[in-house]
Amino acid sequence: MKLKLKYFIPLLIFFPVVLIQLTVVPFISIQGVVPDLLLIAVVYFSISYGQIFGTITGATYGLMYDLISGNLIGSTMLSKTVAGFVAGYFSSETRREKYLYTYSFSIVVLITGLIDAIIFAFFSVIDFNTNIFLALFNHALMPSIYTSLVSILVVIVPYRRNFE
Amino acid sequence: MFRFLLYVWNRFKEYFILTLLVIISLTLLTQNNNQQVQKVRAVAFGSFAAVSSVFYDLFNITQLKNENKDLRQTNAELMLQLSMLREQGILNRELNGMLGYEDTTSLPLTPATIVSKSLSITQNTITINEGTKKGIKPGMPVISYRGMVGIIQTCSDNFSIARTLKNVDLKLTVKNEKNRLNGIMKWDGEKLVIVDVPKTYDFDIGDRIVTSEISSIIPVPIPVGIVAKIEEEQTGILNLIHVTPFEEVLTVEHVFILMLVENEEKNNLELNFYNR
Repeated sequence: MKLKLKYFIPLLIFFPVVLIQLTVVPFISIQGVVPDLLLIAVVYFSISYGQIFGTITGATYGLMYDLISGNLIGSTMLSKTVAGFVAGYFSSETRREKYLYTYSFSIVVLITGLIDAIIFAFFSVIDFNTNIFLALFNHALMPSIYTSLVSILVVIVPYRRNFE
Repeated sequence: MFRFLLYVWNRFKEYFILTLLVIISLTLLTQNNNQQVQKVRAVAFGSFAAVSSVFYDLFNITQLKNENKDLRQTNAELMLQLSMLREQGILNRELNGMLGYEDTTSLPLTPATIVSKSLSITQNTITINEGTKKGIKPGMPVISYRGMVGIIQTCSDNFSIARTLKNVDLKLTVKNEKNRLNGIMKWDGEKLVIVDVPKTYDFDIGDRIVTSEISSIIPVPIPVGIVAKIEEEQTGILNLIHVTPFEEVLTVEHVFILMLVENEEKNNLELNFYNR
């Protein structure tokens, strides 16, 4: 029963997360830069349940998001698959607690966010006239930092609940 | 042999799964224009948009106040412009009649509301609450009262997804309203630019940019933006014209779809920029 629930939860979480991503998050954008809530969810599941689970969750989330949002189908799927895979390296019996319930979670989100954004940008902005470092700064670093800052909520909210 | 395969699988299964999923992703990337994929997408976003439209309205109320204020001001400005245009319209009709031209000014517009926005730096899209039931088809221009917003990309029965100007996959043929010079405008991930403009072309900061009649997608002039900066390209013979759009994708909420009858002869030509 517990095993089945483990597979069901990411699908259940996907719809409210993507609903917020497409309707509420645009209101908190800074210069067109928005946090990626789906990435935070993928990283969370990847650390919680392991690398394979994270990779498959990333692929599923990416594909569903591509279908819903009008993005190039396969682009988010590819970037989220790799992001889920990379986040899985921070998942092990000994390290899980450390990366999931401390501010290290935001660091993991930042690292995977960078990888996710670079892969996504590669398939959407291949323009050799653009300065590559400037492009990476705008397309990868800024969204990753914003996503990383928002991911602090994942750490703070459960902590405060426990404290109260 | 079986044991060996089992050993390899157990040792490298993470990498096998990653490779398999990456291959699936890359395959899907090449299948974006496939009819079956488009149908699946239409069903998926149509179903989701029905839910998100309700949710979006709840968060939208706070912005309506500011928008109403802007609209009142625009109304007043338009009223003044209208009275001037009426005078010119009367004169124009008389002259057109004299020359035997047909009246082509009545363009069909369908109002729509944005129900969700997918914001990324490179692939901005919006979902609107009108679809094929209202006769909307891919390729139709999406405009606001300020100017061009984007182009319809996919439609379901009741919803449509449009690529906005800030989408790297949308390239438009535009022209300088002042001197009728044409160019290709695109979003480079940071700014709207008209690319490969010869230095001999007379572009000045502040010039109005509109869509060009030679475009296979938008055959009527729709305001796009104004020239913000003229940058010399590295080759030294071409300019890069920076354009500030009239409409900001981030704040737009209500749009119109220009229900243009597609030009079949043009569509049959492979030069259609939309079929990239």
